Amino acid sequence: MRRVAVTGVSIIDPQGGSTQDFFERTLLGQSSITFFQNDELPKPVASPALHCAGFSAERSIGKALASSMDRYSQLGVAAVFDAWSMAGLSVDAEQTNDRWGVSWGTALGGTHAYEHGLRDMWKNGKERLPPMSVVLGMNNACASHIAIKLGLGASCLTYSIACASAATAIGEGFNKIQQGEADLMVVGGSDNPLLYGVFRAWEAMRVLSPGNAETAASACRPFDRTRSGLVLGEGAAALILEDWDHAVKRSAPIICELGGYGSNCDHQNLVRPDQTGQVKAIKMALVNAGMQPRDIGYINAHGTATLEGDPIEIAAIREVFGSHAPNMPVSATKSSHGHLMGASGAIEAAITVLALAQDALPPTANLNDVDPKCEGVMHIKGQSIKNTNPKGAISNCFAFGGSNAVLAFKKSH
Amino acid sequence: MTNESSLKILREFLLERTEIPEEKITPEASLEELGIDSLTQLELLFEFEEKLNISLPDVEERPKTIGELISVVEKHMSAKALTD
Repeated sequence: MRRVAVTGVSIIDPQGGSTQDFFERTLLGQSSITFFQNDELPKPVASPALHCAGFSAERSIGKALASSMDRYSQLGVAAVFDAWSMAGLSVDAEQTNDRWGVSWGTALGGTHAYEHGLRDMWKNGKERLPPMSVVLGMNNACASHIAIKLGLGASCLTYSIACASAATAIGEGFNKIQQGEADLMVVGGSDNPLLYGVFRAWEAMRVLSPGNAETAASACRPFDRTRSGLVLGEGAAALILEDWDHAVKRSAPIICELGGYGSNCDHQNLVRPDQTGQVKAIKMALVNAGMQPRDIGYINAHGTATLEGDPIEIAAIREVFGSHAPNMPVSATKSSHGHLMGASGAIEAAITVLALAQDALPPTANLNDVDPKCEGVMHIKGQSIKNTNPKGAISNCFAFGGSNAVLAFKKSH
Repeated sequence: MTNESSLKILREFLLERTEIPEEKITPEASLEELGIDSLTQLELLFEFEEKLNISLPDVEERPKTIGELISVVEKHMSAKALTD
């Protein structure tokens, strides 16, 4: 099996700053969640959300590309360009490579294009949609733009597996390199759930955390006794994965190693998570990485802040890590960035990579009073924990529909 | 409707959506060299239809220059004026 290096990492900072700006706020336990409002009829949206208000598609990727994309693609391509540059590669180079590919995750894809078009027809009496609607709205649009712009010939894949979309895309991209089918894979995810119909649909499930302008930043409280549900977020994050020797040969900056990936299906219930399935997925990732439970020094939990989901994940962690569990640093960074749906696995993998590389473990923001049902691990509260020198870290993603995806990263040596 | 107003619609569309410099948007300019692909041409025809409240027929031969693209609109407008 070939080793897989992470040579680029990028997160779209909702405030318009850099990946590092966003990571440093997250280390301080500062939430980037704000109170999101629009004027949509019949009932305007007013809810805590992660809104990338500081993101300018035109500034990030240029007017011509931006105008040919839906927002989820704009966010994704911007994250990829940034990670690509970090990996020492040029966006403008006239290069093509049939050993390089893209593996992308999104849950909602270009839903915005269709929702916008439908509303235009019903509200404004339009009888038809613009010709670009199909290519704006198709769920593989973002991956295709990435492949075309960067000349990636090995594959152009899109995974849509609810909350596990991006983690699966990263894992499957990792598999392609590990098994020798590709030398470099652009992986990650992007999503835009801040849409009228999507908000209303999640409201109907009664799992959105309420809030107002004053309380929005603390609306997402995973593992806390007072937790009240999830917060929707838009965004994107990307990693550049490479065959280890390929990365060394071109003197790429190796940030860490992606050592293992575990994926499976609970095959139990559409929405209720299952401890048994989660345990199997975490164990698969560890075995794949050749790591023992004691090698893991940080867990970025799925932790959505729902009443039912959080205790099940902690129980799964306790089962896998046994006597190590009480000292296992765990945090759910959704408390800071909300639930990016199909991109959540990407932003959380990126945070896990940065945590390992910078030896700084981010806290669960807003966690003050741990629910007794969520005890049994070392919850990171308040601010980050630094200088613990973890050998490895895992990122969990457990999706509606029962799909689980766990990524195991190793510190590079 | 004059040739000038069709060109104005086209100019405004391209300036809003692309990075093509204004001085390059001339009747003689090649669509391919400006990077206006078939999808963008479809969007342009849609824009003409919306702005001029017309319904353009399918074109048999794809236009190769800005001028040819505009003449698709102009020919339709002239035919429409005769029948109105």
